[in-house]
Amino acid sequence: MHKKSKTIAAFAVVLIGLISFIVIACNVGSLKVSAVELFRGLFIEYDETVHTIYDLRFPRIFVAMLAGAALSVSGVLFQAVLRNPLADPTIIGVSSGASFVAVIMTACLPQMIFMVPLYAFIGGLASFALVFSLSYKGGLRPIRIILVGVAVSAVFNGLISGVSSIGGTTSSAANIVDANITMKTWSDVKLLSGYVLVGLVLAFASWYFCNLLALEDKTARSLGVNVTVVRIIVSLIAVLLASISTAVVGVISFVGLIVPHIARLIIGANHKVLLPFSAALGALLLVVADTIGRTIFAPFEISAAIIMSVLGGPLFIVLLRKNKQI
Amino acid sequence: MIKVENVSFSYGKKQVLKDISLEIKEGKITTILGQNGCGKSTLFNIMTKNLPLKHGKISIQGNDITKIKLREFSRLLATVHQYNIVPEALTVEELVAYGRLPYAHTKECYKNEEYINRAIEAAKLTEIRHELVSNLSGGQMQRVWIAMAIAQNTKILFLDEPTTYLDVHHQIELLRLIKRLQETYQLTVVMILHEINQAVHYSDEIIALKDGHVLYSGEPDGFTTTEMMKDVYGIELEIIKNNKHKHVVTV
Repeated sequence: MHKKSKTIAAFAVVLIGLISFIVIACNVGSLKVSAVELFRGLFIEYDETVHTIYDLRFPRIFVAMLAGAALSVSGVLFQAVLRNPLADPTIIGVSSGASFVAVIMTACLPQMIFMVPLYAFIGGLASFALVFSLSYKGGLRPIRIILVGVAVSAVFNGLISGVSSIGGTTSSAANIVDANITMKTWSDVKLLSGYVLVGLVLAFASWYFCNLLALEDKTARSLGVNVTVVRIIVSLIAVLLASISTAVVGVISFVGLIVPHIARLIIGANHKVLLPFSAALGALLLVVADTIGRTIFAPFEISAAIIMSVLGGPLFIVLLRKNKQI
Repeated sequence: MIKVENVSFSYGKKQVLKDISLEIKEGKITTILGQNGCGKSTLFNIMTKNLPLKHGKISIQGNDITKIKLREFSRLLATVHQYNIVPEALTVEELVAYGRLPYAHTKECYKNEEYINRAIEAAKLTEIRHELVSNLSGGQMQRVWIAMAIAQNTKILFLDEPTTYLDVHHQIELLRLIKRLQETYQLTVVMILHEINQAVHYSDEIIALKDGHVLYSGEPDGFTTTEMMKDVYGIELEIIKNNKHKHVVTV
């Protein structure tokens, strides 16, 4: 049972890290508060500093956590469905498709801002369907999915830049374009948490399917499983998670790629533990990235998306070189 | 038990199976032989519902296989495929447990443990049941896939070139295992093999295909003739006799 204790230890470390970083993230800026004061202020008695922090800093911490968890789990699911360690919602074009539709619709119908997650989901689905069908050639070759995804993603990113340079974007659309976690309020948290929690529960429930997808298609079929149906269901969950987080925080790359890789190294490839562990690790990573972005050149802020690109790129190359399979 | 009637199949314009009819007998080991590209893999895949049956009819105990649902089919017929991806981080026991998937949410569920243990013992995997499949040798791995199929508790077992990646020691060990399983559980076994002598020795029935036609169907003894080798494989091979057994000299 050595394996089990290692799993529990890994979860404990990540959760402690997450709690520590929530406290640290609360203390970044002019207002300071200790962990004890924070706890007292939140759960025991009213404290003005804590209340301000609660209104200003908590939303972005929660948004970062939810988006990090959603993106990481989405990455795990895509990697299982496409049986491809390089799959990630940004690489295969889902995020940029979601972002594009969200930006266009927000620009055209600014009063319907609460519908953004739906627009993004439609965009993500359309983009995924496009990549899937364009790369299908009597079967799905992993490398073709990645290449088609890169192309589709480039087109959508180009279109997004085009739209924003002709000035067609409102400030909320600009937020999606710039992948901004700043200025988030509790309404953003509510918007995100509903969809993300549903998505995460569905994703965790699909662990057995994800494990099965690691078998050869023919083998899964001879166990009476319709592999195509399983693929479609798991893909839908993955698209949902990626699109929703894109709708609120914009396109953030590398999270869905790096987190599953690190999680697999630590905890193994069984999706029963891999999915929840990736969610926790992803939440931690994005809170860390956001906190770094806020502190490194304070009072100026660098968005978490930029931090992720700068840190994620090299980290990913290290992982690639360590992986014997790729 | 399994009846194949007038089955044809084409990949695009290329016709691979041409109006094939044959019968697989219950409780016997039947081996399909033939040159590369003779259509044996295609026939195998149609019979195991991995390729669609468009022309002709295949029935198992009188039931048309196109009318049997995939899940129901997996309780009737288990398949060990030639090529298998080895999933990361799965133990032998966990992989064999996949064989019970066809029975998930059925009344049979409560027997899962029993069938998994039985399959592990039958395939001689007891000592390595907690090891990771990815750490096993080729021979052990092949036994794990067979154990998974045995856990499906079907009466019919299909094996696609089960010995291909193994050395002669493990080939014979595996064929003996298949023979023993067939006798213990009264299975109907259908397999594809390339090694003629092994096929002849371990099978009750031989089916030889050439260019999408059935060239021979019957007992192994009638198959081992110089003429037959020339017809099936297009090459002159000598036949030698010892202890009443006939062997094809494959050099």
